[in-house]
Amino acid sequence: MNYTLQRRKFLKLSAALSALGLIGGPGLIPLARSAEFTGYKCLVNVFLLGGNDSFNMLVPRSDAEYNVYAASRQNLAIAQEALLPISPLNSDGVLYGFHPMATGLQGLFESGDLAVVSNVGPLLEPVSKDDYLNGNTLLPPQLFSHNDQRNQWQSLRGTTNLSTGWAGRIADSLADDLSGQMLPTNISTSGNSRFQSGDTTSPYTVNNSGASSYAAFRRNAEYGPERQASFERQLTNGFDNIHSRALADVHSRSLLYADLINDALRLVPELNTPFPESRLGRRLRIVARLLAVKDEFEVNRQIFYITTGGFDTHNDQNQDQPDLLMDLGDCLLAFQTAMTEIGLSDQVTTFTQSDFGRTLTSNGDGTDHGWGGHQLVSGSAVLGQRVFGTMPSLEIDGADDVAGGRIIPTLSADQYAATLANWFGVDDSSLDQIAPNLAAFNLRNLGFMA
Amino acid sequence: MHFSRTTIVTISLLLLSSCGGGGGSSVSTAPAPSGDTPTEPVISVAQAHRFLRQASFGPTPAEVDNVRNIGFEAWIDQQLLQTPSLQLPYMDDLAEPENNREGQTNRLDAWFRNALTGEDQLRQRVAFALSQIMVVSDQSSLFNFPNGLADYYDELTLHAFGNYQELLKAVTLTPAMGLYLSMLGNQKPDKAMNIRPDENYAREVMQLFSIGLVMLNEDGSTILDQDNQPVPTYDQSIIEGFAHVFTGWTFYGSESFNQPSYIFRLPMVAFQDFHDGGEKRLLNEVVLPAGQTAVDDLDAALENIASHANVPAFISRQLIQRLVSANPSAAYIGRVAAVFIDDGYGTRGNLSAVVKAILLDPEARAEPADANSGKLTEPLLRLTAVWRAFDASAANNRYLFAYPEFSFSQAPLRADSVFNFFRPDFAPPGEISKLGLVSPEMQITNETTSVTVNNYLALAIFLQHSAVVEKDEATIYIDIESELALVDQPQALINQVADKLLGGNISEQLRSETASMMAHWDTQAGKVVEAIHMIATSPEFAVLR
Repeated sequence: MNYTLQRRKFLKLSAALSALGLIGGPGLIPLARSAEFTGYKCLVNVFLLGGNDSFNMLVPRSDAEYNVYAASRQNLAIAQEALLPISPLNSDGVLYGFHPMATGLQGLFESGDLAVVSNVGPLLEPVSKDDYLNGNTLLPPQLFSHNDQRNQWQSLRGTTNLSTGWAGRIADSLADDLSGQMLPTNISTSGNSRFQSGDTTSPYTVNNSGASSYAAFRRNAEYGPERQASFERQLTNGFDNIHSRALADVHSRSLLYADLINDALRLVPELNTPFPESRLGRRLRIVARLLAVKDEFEVNRQIFYITTGGFDTHNDQNQDQPDLLMDLGDCLLAFQTAMTEIGLSDQVTTFTQSDFGRTLTSNGDGTDHGWGGHQLVSGSAVLGQRVFGTMPSLEIDGADDVAGGRIIPTLSADQYAATLANWFGVDDSSLDQIAPNLAAFNLRNLGFMA
Repeated sequence: MHFSRTTIVTISLLLLSSCGGGGGSSVSTAPAPSGDTPTEPVISVAQAHRFLRQASFGPTPAEVDNVRNIGFEAWIDQQLLQTPSLQLPYMDDLAEPENNREGQTNRLDAWFRNALTGEDQLRQRVAFALSQIMVVSDQSSLFNFPNGLADYYDELTLHAFGNYQELLKAVTLTPAMGLYLSMLGNQKPDKAMNIRPDENYAREVMQLFSIGLVMLNEDGSTILDQDNQPVPTYDQSIIEGFAHVFTGWTFYGSESFNQPSYIFRLPMVAFQDFHDGGEKRLLNEVVLPAGQTAVDDLDAALENIASHANVPAFISRQLIQRLVSANPSAAYIGRVAAVFIDDGYGTRGNLSAVVKAILLDPEARAEPADANSGKLTEPLLRLTAVWRAFDASAANNRYLFAYPEFSFSQAPLRADSVFNFFRPDFAPPGEISKLGLVSPEMQITNETTSVTVNNYLALAIFLQHSAVVEKDEATIYIDIESELALVDQPQALINQVADKLLGGNISEQLRSETASMMAHWDTQAGKVVEAIHMIATSPEFAVLR
């Protein structure tokens, strides 16, 4: 659709809905464009639901370190010779390899478009094993619990009651600079999350093919436009109950953005880059398509949230993990290829998060909830082909194991988030609002972004 | 009948443009009473309707009358005596499914049948609530075992009015739960191999099914320590204690521990050789002695959990949230928890008494207090409410609906994880969050799902009603005959639809918008389904005050 027309149409609907206060908050009503952000940057969070066993994703290949690994992991160990070798530019003297099925990760790493951030996890301050065992340290509450640790990764709330997520806070803090954007800064392919919840901004959810639109309101439905007008009158009239109002708010955003998004997507029905037909592949594909038409939305900064599940490998890990890591590698590689195709590879950075790492010990055919684990960052703005941080000892009851093969993180989820936020455009002075525990750590930036 | 999202949209588009023309014969409405004017029941239509939205899968005119005539408590007592409607016997009577997908669709057929037509409405509602607290899901290896899931649901149904600790034991020993949270096949440690017992069930049975993560007062409020921090209910050593308890169990009838029988209909059994024989640290400083049998360990461990001080408030709050309101007052939780602790006859965990206390509590029965009251109705329950209000059925007498989750983000035993479709503490950003309140169902309400819910309702109303001429034998049609009889009296028609869906509590705006939209139509069926659609897709209907 014609650019000006699109904007005019959007403004009209936006004005209609905002007239009675339904659509509110910065970032939702287009105001004068700010000169602050003229370029474009985008963060894509791929959240691995359930807790990725990343100590089987990146494995030491040197004999000494491999033997420690194999002794710990026993029947869950990956065969040494099967590991996919990599050649990090910042070697620590140990050889490493990716899981045999993670060919996509190996390819991205070797081409310089992927970095590993080693042994990162929720922390309130640096933790030593002695401190942990003696109770002499502050810890995130409810370690090893899925939803609590996922919440920590997404909110970085520590022991506070903070209800926002760090992407939500980024959108809040940049709202004035991004007030010209026609879409909310935060977009999800995977429903609501703590990660994107802001105080003054709300995320927006798409489906795998774009925006859902109301069948009963379409032009070719009998009295569709009249029905839509009637529905909008109901929404703008307001409701005397908080739950009705929350629902009406969502309906309003559905109405406001659906045509904008779907009209734009018609411009680029498909990219040339094929994506795996997996849940993650389909979700990354719609993000890639939205990025291909991002100019239609007049956006300078966007954050996407994508989840993919199945990582809670309590049982059948040897059967399930190969598919999980193959899919992850193939999908990240396809996405990076697509970004190159549309010329955004150095403006879009993809990163993983996960509930926690998993225990090095086995429960027979699987693993339990751990703490620290490796994360992946990909994109051309990443200082790729490097492993950041320190590889932990993988010895049971070793220096980094608090018990049962649960590894103390050496880097914090706050440092990880702050590094990404800083690249995205958050001033150093504002990073502590995004990552509230950052001050407890020496490094404010882990240095993996160019 | 398999609907993909796109098919639903496409079909609804097509039929939206072609619906109408139905006409339909006039059906007499209830005759006006003659002679003595009977005394109006004390319970109003609106009050009975609201009660039935809390206690059933949707009010019907007959059930509203029933509640008005006999009263809330007598209605509950009646319900407690109803024979439980189960899934497995029905599924066994169906033709052998060709594949697991068809088997799962049969399972949902059984669920819809019981939810829509079961006489034991309250039991079914409570079972559905329990299925969202003690979660198993076919989004796992259980997809291959529809009968195992049906057996699980039947256990919830059978224990819905029973004793909490017995429910917990039944749930623990179902092979479905055993597979889902990997207690089945869990074995004693093997130090040389760095193998320790699986902690999955040990963790979630405490975190989600019984006591939660932090110590609670009897009214559900969080106990804080001197630093104003919540007090954890357990630590890792206790999880490990329970993980050791839950070793040695597998399918009944297995030749050996490592040769599972895959018999789902009987509780798991223990193989003592695979059970850990050491001491086990449990809650409240209890330590199980070494050398007990797997059965004795299990019974003692479940007793240990069920007698924990958190259970009454933790379970009561979530049942209130599923049935009545998202943000019950502490006093309300406390009153229900007190009944959980002692049903008046000295019994702890009597769920029928708990359910009764929830529904008869002044906070549930009084007029909605303020703007914060009530809850967003679960999306799937909006559909069942419409279907029950308009007596929906298919010619083949089945309810074939393979993928409710595509439209409603939920389907029975089909959550993405053990954390259910939504969490009890979810608060959407904005007003609710700022007020410190929650709205769990909002977790599955976003710009996509708010549309897909309404699109399915549009399909189910505009396209699938009794005046449609060319009917399909597997499609579920709502019965609009009694509405067609009122089509010449628009206000009476709106009143009737509003009575069925809203208990008569319709805003002036929705009434006038509905009248305006109906006026566009020149077909009788068009007017009727327009009215039903307007109300069923309104935010007013989506919220239970």
